[in-house]
Amino acid sequence: MTVMDKPKRANGPKDPLAGDIIDCDIHSVLPGGLKTVFPYLDRATRQRLETKGVGVGHSALSPRLAVPNGGHAIRPDARTPDGGPGGSDPDYIVEDLIEPHGIRAAVCTCIQAGALATVLAGPDESVALCRAFNDYHLEEWKLKDAGAIRYAAVVPVQIPEEAAKEIERIGDEPGVAAIFMPLLNIPMGNRHYHPIYAAAQEKGLPILLHVTGTENVYHGSPVIAGGWPESYAERYCSLSQVGEANLISLVFSGVLERFPELKVLFVEFGCSWVLPTMWRMDKAWRGVRFDVPWVKRSPIDYVNEHVKLSTQPLDEPADPAQLKSLVELIGDHLLCFATDYPHWDNDMPGQSLRMLSDDSRRRIFVENAQGILRL
Amino acid sequence: MDARADQSTTDLGPLEEFPEGAFRVMRVGKREIGVYRSSSGEVFAIANFCPHRGAPLCKGPVGGTLIPSEPGELVYGMDGDVVRCPWHGYEFSLHTGECLFTGQRMRAKTYPVSVEDGRVRVSGIKSGEKK
Ligand code: FES
Repeated sequence: MTVMDKPKRANGPKDPLAGDIIDCDIHSVLPGGLKTVFPYLDRATRQRLETKGVGVGHSALSPRLAVPNGGHAIRPDARTPDGGPGGSDPDYIVEDLIEPHGIRAAVCTCIQAGALATVLAGPDESVALCRAFNDYHLEEWKLKDAGAIRYAAVVPVQIPEEAAKEIERIGDEPGVAAIFMPLLNIPMGNRHYHPIYAAAQEKGLPILLHVTGTENVYHGSPVIAGGWPESYAERYCSLSQVGEANLISLVFSGVLERFPELKVLFVEFGCSWVLPTMWRMDKAWRGVRFDVPWVKRSPIDYVNEHVKLSTQPLDEPADPAQLKSLVELIGDHLLCFATDYPHWDNDMPGQSLRMLSDDSRRRIFVENAQGILRL
Repeated sequence: MDARADQSTTDLGPLEEFPEGAFRVMRVGKREIGVYRSSSGEVFAIANFCPHRGAPLCKGPVGGTLIPSEPGELVYGMDGDVVRCPWHGYEFSLHTGECLFTGQRMRAKTYPVSVEDGRVRVSGIKSGEKK
C-alpha cells in the first residue's frame, strides 16, 4: 500500500460540459488593498490617500456582520502556493479553478474596487481609483486580451459622467466582458445612472451587478428592507432583496425602453426570487400600467429580453427535483452559471444542477453567458 | 483487534512527524485522508472529502463550535473536535464524522487511528480500495 504526502486536489467530479463552461463570477483579491493600485494613481490622489493612511483589505464588514470565517468570505483552501489569499494570483486561479473544472472563460469582478467605487471612497477619489483598479487588472493580471480570465471593469458610479468616460476609455479592450456597476442606494431605474447605460450600450457591453459587501453597512449603499440585520446570516439571506428591488426598478422605470440594447446581468443575488417577482410585476402591470405608461409590454418580456441572473448562490431544497421544477418555471434561458470562486459559498460546475437535462445545462453553463457577456 | 482490521492497518510513520494542531494530508492506497494530532495528544483520521459538495475538508479549520443554545446565549463546546469545511462551512465531528447540528444525515468518512510504539497507524483502508 502506498502512503504519500502529496495529495491530489480534491475538487469533486468533472463536469460533462468541461472545456466549454463560462463562469460569470470569480473574484480578484488584492491583499494590499488599495495600496496595491497606488502605482496606477495620479500623484495627487495617491498623496491624498497616503496622507489619510487608508487601506482596504478583504472585507468592508464590521464584527456585527463579518463572515464567520476569519472575517472574510475567502475559502481557506484556495490559498495560493506562496501563502496569499485565494483569488490573489491569476495563474493560480487558472490552476485551481479554471483548468480542473473545465471552464473556458471566467469573468473576474474586483469587489474591493466595487466597495471603494460605491461608498468607501469619496466621489473624486473613486474616479481615480476605478481607473487605477482597471489599469492594474488589465496590466498586471494581463486581462486586456480575451483569455481564460475576462474582466468586468468597475466604474465610479458616484459620478456617472465619469463612469461613462471610463467605459469609453477601456471599453474596447477585448478582455473586458462587462461593466461592473456597483450600486448606490439609488435604484437602477433612476436617471442618475443613464450616462452609464448609454456608454455601456454604445460599447455593446452588459451591465454586471454584484454585491459589494457594503450593503446595509454604510450610508449610501443599498439598504435591505425591514431594518438593520444583527448577524452575517441575516444579512446574507436578505441580499437578494437588493436584486429584486433593482429588477423591479429597471423594468418599471422605462430604462429598457430608453436603452433598447441594454443588457443586465444580476450576479450573486441568487435566482429563486425572480419567478414570483416576474409574476408579481406582470399582474401589477396589467392593473396599474397607467402609472408607468412607458412600460409597453409585459414586464416578463423585458426581463426575458434584457436580463439574466447568475445561479449562484443556488438554493438547495432537500429534494433536488424541486430545484429542477423551479428552474423549469423560471426558464433556463434566464440563468447563467457562476462559481463565485474563491468565496465560501461557491457552486462548482461538477456538482451543480446535475438533475437538469444536458440541453438545459448547456444553456445555463455555456450559451446564455455567451449571449449576454461580450466574450 | 480482529484479523480483518489488522490486515487493513497501515503504518503512517512516527508520531513526531505529525505536527500538533494541523492536518497532514496523505494518500493511503486510493484514499486521501487528513491526519490531525490535537494538542491533547489525540490523533484523528478523516477523509479529505466533504460529503456535501466534495471540498477538501482538511483544508478547513479545526476548533470548537458554538453549540445549539437558547436565544441570546452563547455556549462554546467541542473544543478541538470540529472541522469546518472550507467551502460552505458545514461542521463535522473529528471523532465520528457526523455533520453537526444541521439535521443533515451526511457523514464525513473517519478512520480508526492508533498510536503504538510511537507510530501512527490507521485502519479500515484497503490498499486496493477504489474511491
Ligand atoms: S462542500 Fe463542504 S460544506 Fe459544502
